[in-house]
Amino acid sequence: MKLKITVYTLIAGLALAGCSKGKLSPIPQTFLSEAVAFSDSARCVQQVNGLYSAFKQGQMMAGRYMVYQDVRGEEFLNVTNNAVTAWLTWQFNLTAGTNEVNFFWNACYATINRCNVVIAGLATAPISGTLKTNMTAEAKLIRAAAYFMLMQLYAKPYTDGNGSNLGVILKLNAETSIGDNNQARTTAAIIYAQILQDLNDAEANLPSFYTNNSPTTLLNTTRAHKNTAIALKTRVYLNMANWASVITEGNKLVPAAAPWNAPTGVANGLNPSISSVFTVYSNNESIWSAPFTTLDIPGTQNGLGWYYNPGPNGGNEYELNLTGNGICADPNWSAVDARRAFNQVTSGRTYLRKWPKPAADADWSPIVRYAEVMLNLAEALARNAPGTSVDARALAILNSIRQRSDPTLPNFTPADKNALVALILNERRIELLGEGFRTSDVGRTGATYAAKGTVSSVAPGTTQYIWPIPLGELLVNRACQQNSGY
Amino acid sequence: MRKLYLLLLGVVFFAAQALAQRTVTGKVTDEKGNPLANVSVLVRGTTTGTTTKEDGTYSLTVPANAKALVFSSVDMSPVEQAIGTASVVNATLKAEDRTMSEVVVVGYGTQRRRDVTGSVSRISGDKTKDLPVQSFEQALSGRAAGVSVTLPNGVLNAPPVVRVRGINAMGLSSFPLVVIDGIPTFSGNAGNSAANNVLSDINPGDIESVEVLKDAAAAAIYGSRAAAGVILVTTKEGKQGKARVNYDAWVGFTRPFNLVPLLDAREYELIKNEGLTNAGTPPNGTTRGFYPYIGPDGQPVNTNWYDVVYRQGVSHTHNINVSGANDRTNYFFSAGFTKQKGMIFNNDFKRLTTLMSLEHKVNSRFTVGGKFQYSTSKNSGLNTGSLPGQAFNTSGVGRLAFNLMPNVPVFLNNGAYNINTASNTIGQGGNITALQFTNPKYLLDKNIFTSENDRILANAYGTVKIFDGLQFKMVFGIDNLQVTNKAFQDFLHGDGVGQAGSATNTLQTYRRWNWQNLLTYDKTFGKHTVGVLGGIEEQYTSSDGWGASRQGVTDPFYNEYQGGYNNILPAGNFLGENYLISYIARLNYGYARKYLASVNFRRDGYSAFAPDNKYGNFFGGSLGYVVSEEKFFKNSGLSRVMNLLKFKGSYGEVGNIQGIGDFAFWTSFSSGLYAAAPSIFFSQAGNRDLRWENSKKTDIGVEMGFFRGRLTAEITYYKNIINDGILAEPTAPSRGIPGNSITTNIGSMYNKGWEVTLTGTVVQTKNFTWNSSFNITTLKNVVTRLANQNADIQPATSGLERPSMVRVGESLGVFYVVRTGGVNPANGQRIYYYSNGTAVQYNHAASAVNRWTLVSNGAVAPRVADQASDGVIIGPALPKWQGGFDNTFRYKNFDLNILMFFSGGNYVYNGSKAGQRDMRSWNNMKDMLKRWQKPGDITDIPRVVFGDNISNGSGIVISENVEKGDFLKARNITLGYAAPKNVTDKLGISSIRFYVQMQNAFTFTKYSGFDPEISSNGNGFGNPSVDRNSVPQARTVNIGINLGF
Repeated sequence: MKLKITVYTLIAGLALAGCSKGKLSPIPQTFLSEAVAFSDSARCVQQVNGLYSAFKQGQMMAGRYMVYQDVRGEEFLNVTNNAVTAWLTWQFNLTAGTNEVNFFWNACYATINRCNVVIAGLATAPISGTLKTNMTAEAKLIRAAAYFMLMQLYAKPYTDGNGSNLGVILKLNAETSIGDNNQARTTAAIIYAQILQDLNDAEANLPSFYTNNSPTTLLNTTRAHKNTAIALKTRVYLNMANWASVITEGNKLVPAAAPWNAPTGVANGLNPSISSVFTVYSNNESIWSAPFTTLDIPGTQNGLGWYYNPGPNGGNEYELNLTGNGICADPNWSAVDARRAFNQVTSGRTYLRKWPKPAADADWSPIVRYAEVMLNLAEALARNAPGTSVDARALAILNSIRQRSDPTLPNFTPADKNALVALILNERRIELLGEGFRTSDVGRTGATYAAKGTVSSVAPGTTQYIWPIPLGELLVNRACQQNSGY
Repeated sequence: MRKLYLLLLGVVFFAAQALAQRTVTGKVTDEKGNPLANVSVLVRGTTTGTTTKEDGTYSLTVPANAKALVFSSVDMSPVEQAIGTASVVNATLKAEDRTMSEVVVVGYGTQRRRDVTGSVSRISGDKTKDLPVQSFEQALSGRAAGVSVTLPNGVLNAPPVVRVRGINAMGLSSFPLVVIDGIPTFSGNAGNSAANNVLSDINPGDIESVEVLKDAAAAAIYGSRAAAGVILVTTKEGKQGKARVNYDAWVGFTRPFNLVPLLDAREYELIKNEGLTNAGTPPNGTTRGFYPYIGPDGQPVNTNWYDVVYRQGVSHTHNINVSGANDRTNYFFSAGFTKQKGMIFNNDFKRLTTLMSLEHKVNSRFTVGGKFQYSTSKNSGLNTGSLPGQAFNTSGVGRLAFNLMPNVPVFLNNGAYNINTASNTIGQGGNITALQFTNPKYLLDKNIFTSENDRILANAYGTVKIFDGLQFKMVFGIDNLQVTNKAFQDFLHGDGVGQAGSATNTLQTYRRWNWQNLLTYDKTFGKHTVGVLGGIEEQYTSSDGWGASRQGVTDPFYNEYQGGYNNILPAGNFLGENYLISYIARLNYGYARKYLASVNFRRDGYSAFAPDNKYGNFFGGSLGYVVSEEKFFKNSGLSRVMNLLKFKGSYGEVGNIQGIGDFAFWTSFSSGLYAAAPSIFFSQAGNRDLRWENSKKTDIGVEMGFFRGRLTAEITYYKNIINDGILAEPTAPSRGIPGNSITTNIGSMYNKGWEVTLTGTVVQTKNFTWNSSFNITTLKNVVTRLANQNADIQPATSGLERPSMVRVGESLGVFYVVRTGGVNPANGQRIYYYSNGTAVQYNHAASAVNRWTLVSNGAVAPRVADQASDGVIIGPALPKWQGGFDNTFRYKNFDLNILMFFSGGNYVYNGSKAGQRDMRSWNNMKDMLKRWQKPGDITDIPRVVFGDNISNGSGIVISENVEKGDFLKARNITLGYAAPKNVTDKLGISSIRFYVQMQNAFTFTKYSGFDPEISSNGNGFGNPSVDRNSVPQARTVNIGINLGF
């Protein structure tokens, strides 16, 4: 009898041991599930902030995009021979397996998909219509900017064949689950059309400003507004050599004559001092910048400062090319030009010190400056002028840009249209040095990458003129086409 | 006090007389007549007994009605002797046929070896206790068939790569489940740059035995965690007899071995300057060139950086234990201390352990017991570049040692460190061309990495015999692990410059409880033996990590986290929990020890899976047939030679969850910052269909014993088929899925092969014995299915280099490289082959668009050669065969053990060689002196061109750097001397033995790197046998003592 009781007790004990359904379904405490990720306006705003974060990650606007653009050009010499800091890009020795070719592609498409996820999430979010429209426009603007960046490195310039060559892969839907990996590249024309459609939507639906139109209001620099979309359009049309549209868009931001201030939206304009443009981050010239704090840093071996500063604030990766084809050797770039002050000597090498602070406390990265919009407009005006005539407004813009930094200089006196265009292109190299425009400017003009240091020149039509499509894409996406020669 | 004893004795004596007792004396000896101490002498059917003394004699007062005495001792067959009226009863004990009567630990119980039908390897703790290792599994290398243990390199306490019968998970962990005294424990590396294998918290000196469950019959009782095999560790308990005290200690000396010879300073200048000249930019003394630095003695410096990084490390270990048992209570207590200095400066390991074990039979029905292990350890290290993920670290000392320039000094003539703070590199010395890499001496002096553990492993249990054969057991165990990681990196030089000096402290807490309720029924009915097990097991695990990195040190004085800093960033934060509930059943049946069968079943519910997929069922079954127990066999002539012939086979389905994230199925959004504003971002694409990885295991084997067990052989065929392998299914990067992957049940592959184990006593004479054990395991691994219509996967080494490939039809992690064809004698350029066979060559001295030309006519090639277009498979990377050959010779009081470990049939990617032939400013291997210099030179080293990182295989992964990985290694040689009995008697001790041993004594291999036993990717999935910038293996010489009281 006693025995039986013992057995029953044990069996009951065993049965009791197995319970705890709650423990089988723990709720994660450190992230949000998809069900609640867009559940209110505060979360939706954070989702949009997440898009900007993606866009300014290390591979992109924290600096690597600009670095890849610029070190392909003739302005910089590689110091460290380090294969993970764009050395292979600098010497045009890339293959599909090279890390920067893979990582930059991955970062751009991760950003694009985040935009697509947010666009889809906002569509059903329980928030006000205005907020929904505004924030969807922000997502579209970031998506457009990311596609534009991809096109600069992986595709032939739009101007080569007027968009008829292969562009990149067009993704417009949120990808959150297992699905088809195979998708071919579309033409450059289709990608550019999508970029413009997104930017047009953005211009229509973005707010004119945040809180007020003061450029010192933080969000007017760190989030997109109408002027941001317009400014980006001048850049896109310029790369398409669509001068008339550059002028149409440029006219929305740049008045007919000085003072150079935007007539609408955020009070953007040409700052009187070039140096303060890079030290006071929320300024009228900075239409859009990528912000950093000590808690939100570019990351290891990223950041403009890391590439262009010597130690201890940077990685000593690139020095300025003072000889031959480098813009620093331009005798017409005067020694008293304020922009020369960025070029500083340390231990016998000259470095671009536009972003002098250390990686742990990085300077903000400029994404769109008013000065660029002026130069975009000036070039379009100059090129669009009838015959060989010199466009007066274009010349005025050019003189304003140059004389801001060197007031001692007399006005330029170009003999004809071509001379003016050449001056403007030259001015872009000085004004925008290190800001990520060189590859686009060489490519869209069909120019040759000039020789530098031990690296010889690369002419249009050669394999190395553009990047290969990354191996990581080709392995999984069987429909994707490689660029010829790779 | 003494008086009291005498008085008591007197009373007992009197009482004995009164109850008509009498005294029996005698002597117990072994077969050779040697006296046996500590033999238990029991009156049959009672608890009255004693143990024999050192001289084998005993004296026992027995009741008048006593019929017989039972003599028993460990490793001996028990003997029963009738008493009759004799007052002297002597006994001779024979050594057991140990292999068959050996007790083997299996899941949730034990079995006699002869009844086991599953595939279980047993490694005695004696084999591993004196080895110069940090964790016990490092010592298992070569010890057992089917158990592959690869030491990744000579970094102290780096987790070894452990595989049971090949790699048995596709995307999850292939590290076996480790169960310590019945409680599944944590494994893996919890450290920072200081490696911290948490299994090192177990003192190898406390281990009684290690059992490895290899097939489904043995392992399926662990269900969802059995796919990669199960390692059962049993710690020591007290043994019958009087209290014993053992003291074991060794002191060891460790050094790296097989270092690749490098260029000296003058050779370095010659090669690099020649490279500059060949590049068309000859050294000019002003803007470029490599020139000597004149040291304080007026001579150009010639620095051997190996000497700056590597040292002779001195280590010592002490273990003391006290143990004993009577027929009701057994106890074991140990304390251990080890302090080991590795072959790399600053790489130290220190551990204090204690183990307490107690078991008491309360009465014939109840038994209670428990174990308590506490361990505190400290790993100190530096960035070795040798742990997974570190291979390309700029300041990893593995590569610094071979890539730094030999013509620059460690210290400048003024005594300052030779560093360049503008470039954060080594100082230029006399060189003009810019240098790379950092000064390891500075890093060793200033940077600090430590990882400290506090660990409690404890369990308590009680058993109750309900009726004869039926027993209930409840076990509750905990495994609490707390890890404190600290890193300080200096602001002036090295990896800390970017943070202006940083101190990063993190605390990781892992807690687990495990509760088992088990009912067992074991009974023999005539010829039928039945064993039944039923139970419920619950296990809850939580992980909690938090910490911060303080950056921007405000004063060079500070190197602790609590000093002065400008910034603070979060670091090492994580929070997870998981829960496993299981229902267990097993049935063993035997008939006349001839026919054996077992079936086991387990149902597991696991929290990481989606609601519809939480539960899985697993089972295993086996049959055994002991032919040698048949009458016809016993009567045949064969039985005179062959004493055992047993066939066995098993099949089962098990699972794998080890390594899956706690919240793997969730689609999730994480939080971050956009400057000062909070952000949320899409961080994981989930999969609600996620379910168990399924592994089907088949095992067919035969066991044979010859000459009364003097020679045994076991031959087994195994096949493991893995289906629904949980892979991070690669998604096209253009889809923008976070991490470019989704965790999916998609992969399939199989492992199959043979295991052969031969064990025997080759020679046995009075003074000389030779015991030999040989094992070999073959492995054929084939991937049969992958995601996305079998799209290839290329797992990266440290995120940057992709020599490895996972492809259907190939072995896991084969190499995928561009085929090269040596060096063109005409022009010194490396020859590469397109996939269509066209030979092209690379000239780094040419302009960017003309570097690739056709070998046939020198015309510019249509495209570059690269992996995407021209990759070919070379493999396998997993060894096709591996094994050990263990020989023990005893001559009188001397013993000599030689353990050989061999492995091969595979290839190793020697990425370090690419680095050692790099034509940037990096130093090179001595082989570079054979470079091509003039037309007609036949060599495998191309013409040197400064800046070339293509011809050496860094920029494009090439077949030149894939080498055969066959090797034979003398893993351990031990020579011991045990003092004879007359000496120990004089000393008043029971035994003393001295030994000297050498771990990793030598390696035979054609591999050109440090060592073909290598894993830069640790236990990583899909990229084995990669050698990238790792430090070599360590060789250790030990002198030790085993002392018994």
